[in-house]
Amino acid sequence: MVETIVRTALLGIQYGMTLALIATGLTLIFGMLDVINFAHGALYMLGAYFGWVVASTLGSFWLALLLAPLFVGVVGVAIEVLSLRPLYDRNPLYHILLTFGFAIMIQGAVVELWGGQTKQIAEPASLAGTLTIGSFDYPMYRLFVLVVSTLLIGVIWLAVERSDLGILMRASAHDSEMVDALGIDVSKVFTGVFVFGAVLAGFAGVLLGVSRSVNPGMGFGIIIEAFVIVVIGGLGSFRGAIYTALLIGLVSSFGALVASTLTEIFLFVLMAGVLMVRPNGLFGATEAT
Amino acid sequence: MKAKTILDVIGQRTTSQTGNQILSKRGRLAVALGIGTLAVAGPIAYSIQPFWVYLLVQMLVFALLALSLDFIFGYAGLLSFGHAAMFGAGGYAAALLIREVTASALVVLPTAMLVGVLTAALIGWLSVRARGIYFAMLTLAFAQMIYVATFTDLPAMILDTAMITGGDNGLIGIQLYELFGIDFRNRLNYYYLTLGIVALSLAGLVRLANSPFGRVLQGIRENEERIEFLGYNVRRYKIIAFSISGGFAGLAGGLYVPFQSVAEPGLLHWTVSGELVVMVLLGGMGTLWGPMLGAGLIVFLEDRLGGVESWEIILGSIFVAVVIFAPRGLAGMIIAVRNDPRAALDNAKRALRNYLQEVRG
Repeated sequence: MVETIVRTALLGIQYGMTLALIATGLTLIFGMLDVINFAHGALYMLGAYFGWVVASTLGSFWLALLLAPLFVGVVGVAIEVLSLRPLYDRNPLYHILLTFGFAIMIQGAVVELWGGQTKQIAEPASLAGTLTIGSFDYPMYRLFVLVVSTLLIGVIWLAVERSDLGILMRASAHDSEMVDALGIDVSKVFTGVFVFGAVLAGFAGVLLGVSRSVNPGMGFGIIIEAFVIVVIGGLGSFRGAIYTALLIGLVSSFGALVASTLTEIFLFVLMAGVLMVRPNGLFGATEAT
Repeated sequence: MKAKTILDVIGQRTTSQTGNQILSKRGRLAVALGIGTLAVAGPIAYSIQPFWVYLLVQMLVFALLALSLDFIFGYAGLLSFGHAAMFGAGGYAAALLIREVTASALVVLPTAMLVGVLTAALIGWLSVRARGIYFAMLTLAFAQMIYVATFTDLPAMILDTAMITGGDNGLIGIQLYELFGIDFRNRLNYYYLTLGIVALSLAGLVRLANSPFGRVLQGIRENEERIEFLGYNVRRYKIIAFSISGGFAGLAGGLYVPFQSVAEPGLLHWTVSGELVVMVLLGGMGTLWGPMLGAGLIVFLEDRLGGVESWEIILGSIFVAVVIFAPRGLAGMIIAVRNDPRAALDNAKRALRNYLQEVRG
């Protein structure tokens, strides 16, 4: 009993932390660029595919984890510079249409290049097997994902809240004209934020591409979950996205324990409940980040 | 305070894109001409290849859906991300009614519409407390709950019967309508039924949009606070408008399901809602007729390109190109060409030049 609860909690935290990697990018992009990025799920999927390609050709999971997010970052640069940059002053609704267009383009390209079948990134040999403490055992790889994503989120948190770069980011989000007047090239900051979000999504794609399957539908599968997280946390709120991602991770894993067919409903019931009580999300509007 | 701008933009836009009146006299004439053309085109398409009529019916159904969404989204400024719920609810209502009670179109279609109204009233009533994108996400949440309930056949679980929604298989083998002894197995007859209903719906919604009620909705889109200070109950107006919109979405569902002979949970999935938003934006929101063109075009392209291997890439590129070069959608393009055909080309050139300049930074 206790063992099941601990195992489920660990699973939930691990999944929540990976979701946080995706949701962080989404919320930062919204908070700063005012763009609802529908292509974020596609970037996550692209990360998983790039990871699969690198891992299966070069045979190294570690190289995949390093290179795939960078490739996704390059795609992110292209999207930002070629399409979003000329359109920031447009009605943000059109960003939905634009990024939706990219989402299906990327999905189409992936099917074209690698086919529609499900793939899987091979687990690195060093992380195979399970960790056993007394009678309790847990897969090594999942533990690794838990530790890596938690560390990464911690570093991002420090960077956003404490570093000069984080201050610059928050300042640009708050009043980009003023930052521009201070002699800082805001458009570079914007590109940076978008690419950063893309890289994080790609990284999450590689991490989850081992434990879950890699398929063309995974982008659209995760994007709504990520949106739900960002909205519950409060659009644009960095802190809110991370807390909520953890919460959603736990709700999903414990929900699956109680009623596996209804887990998706828990997610939406939670969002509806939060928004009815707090119409701007948990951390919305009160925080500038 | 960027977070505010998008909420403001979705909640209330400052630029009115079409003037006050939806469809001028000339516009009405053009629409009537369009419907007349479709009426004539039906038999011609049928004689070339019956499949074309099948495709035309699908295009019309989605045009009706996009019309219903544009009434609430483009005209009243409320972005609904859950319109699939009303579409599906109407469709399932029609399916159940035809299976269990009667196939009479005079009973089933109004019921499908009513079920759409009731579903929308409930979702709207629960969602209007939030605004802008949060409103959109609430409608999404309730729509997805209905989707999961349908997918898992929750009603049957609760009532402890064998089957109601049919779970992930849905309800298959739904009969066609009965109406004045017309044989709807002939696709052409079904096409005329659909065309008639779509034309009536468009006429009704245009009338409503131009009525005092419609003016209040437009006012809510432009400046919600001001309308509230004028003494209007904004929430009530929003709920009523949302319910009306839902009614037409339900009607579209009622037309779609017997035609396809299946009601399946996919009708309720959020991707349908998302695609609808895309149709409205591509067509040119707030014009009512533009989104109908957008819907028709997307359904057509999806079908025609479906055989081409890289059709998703082509469709995606079209969306991207439209946003960059024709931000007001098809309706905006048509209006620009009508107003000044020669300037339209210059404008296109200027847009391209501006774009290149912006990219270089």
